[in-house]
Amino acid sequence: MELIYSIFIKDGGWLTILKGLQVTLEISVLSLLFGTLLGSLLCFLRVSKFTPLKIFAQVYIAIIRGSPVLMLLMLLFYGVLARAGMPPVAVAVITFSLHTAAHVAELLRASLMALDKGQVEAARTLGFSKWQAFKLVTFPQICRIAKPVYQSTVVNLIQWTSVVGYVTITDLTRVINNIASRTMQPMITITGGLLIYLAISWLVHVIFNWSERKSQLRQADS
Amino acid sequence: MKLKKVAKMLLSCVLAGALFTGCGGSQGGTDKPAQDSGKEIKLGMITHLNATETRMAEILQMVQEETKVPVSKYVLTYYNNLNNLQMGLESGSVDEVSLYKCVADFALATSDKFELVAGDNLKGLSDSFCFAVRKEDTALKADLDKTIDEMKTDGTLDKLINDFITNVDKKQAPPKIDIPMTEGAQTIKVGVTGDLPPFDFVNTDGTPAGFNTALLAEVAKRLGRNIEIVDIDSGARAAALSSKQIDVIFWAIVPIGEKIPSDIDKPENVEMSKPYFKDDVAHLKLKK
Repeated sequence: MELIYSIFIKDGGWLTILKGLQVTLEISVLSLLFGTLLGSLLCFLRVSKFTPLKIFAQVYIAIIRGSPVLMLLMLLFYGVLARAGMPPVAVAVITFSLHTAAHVAELLRASLMALDKGQVEAARTLGFSKWQAFKLVTFPQICRIAKPVYQSTVVNLIQWTSVVGYVTITDLTRVINNIASRTMQPMITITGGLLIYLAISWLVHVIFNWSERKSQLRQADS
Repeated sequence: MKLKKVAKMLLSCVLAGALFTGCGGSQGGTDKPAQDSGKEIKLGMITHLNATETRMAEILQMVQEETKVPVSKYVLTYYNNLNNLQMGLESGSVDEVSLYKCVADFALATSDKFELVAGDNLKGLSDSFCFAVRKEDTALKADLDKTIDEMKTDGTLDKLINDFITNVDKKQAPPKIDIPMTEGAQTIKVGVTGDLPPFDFVNTDGTPAGFNTALLAEVAKRLGRNIEIVDIDSGARAAALSSKQIDVIFWAIVPIGEKIPSDIDKPENVEMSKPYFKDDVAHLKLKK
């Protein structure tokens, strides 16, 4: 117990861990936001009828999904954007947004394909406009189908951000490693760090469950 | 080409010279029964910056020829950083780990899990510590060399070594170090990894501490320039240096005799400053 106290709490050590956690969450949330927006756009391009755009989206998704995010991050930070003078966190957010976008685009496309085409056609015959058909028929169903996969994308994203120590960002993983080196207790410290990541994942799970139940309740009401 | 380079750099390290090992005849090993001197010992060390494992084997062979230290009885495993190295030892993947003597002292003082491997044939296998800068930064290298010389002559360096390495109280939190800031002066960015105590570690409040930081504070004062310390994963230091994200990193060199010049593992675009500290290698094993 005393050992755990001296590793994680003593002399304000927990504040440093919180600061690291904040950086991790900052990068994760921003990347998720931009990644989802960009991913939706990509999915739109991917299913569009205009071939060049479709091919562009296909190539983008293939390249980004197939490349390790650490390599991507290092290439962007130390290569492409090295002269841009951007803060490291911004580069990390860009990288993870690009990466998440590819995954989101694919999961949205998969959800789209799972939908019955006949429903949209039926809506169109009933006089709905294209936008109305999307808004009232397609979109709610995509949300429902994509939710579980989206949840795992969120959890994955949070875990991927643990490599940002390579681009001079002190995130949760980096803080944990630093503590492990200082205290010479890597096993306990890294277990502690793992528990924090686990807690975040569990929190994401709880939030998704809660929203699921809420939407079910709303359905039952109406 | 770029990818290849990056991948290579990922295998970089802090303990550039920790490979030169030769201690102990038959004392090594934890759970192996009766060791005779011919027995192989599994030894863990931190990866060498810019040297592949094949190249390392060649260098070790040269060391053996030069110094008669029986390197070949060790089976080597390379770890990315000190944490991994230590976990390798604790989990029993390696029997011994090779560290700098002052790092080993720190480990012995902070944790009661380890003990020193006895053996006295380590003489002459010491490594020197220095700064590494980009090749084109000749002015910076000259400044650093000049400062190191000055600090050597007026005894500041010895005082720093005494305060932060030799006589540092390892049980206590390390002293806070303020790096003097000069308004409007040029800023030098220095990469630290935070994983080589007592040279380089990060305090509980998240600020870098240890000998390297104290040294940098002194250098900043003497050069009249600002020094910004950047915490970076050790695997990315070389990439950060060559892409100009940082200007200086810490490096260890291992000059042994004629055959093994100090720049044996130096990348082409990097230049070393004069050494400011020298340390021997020590081996640690788990307590029985």
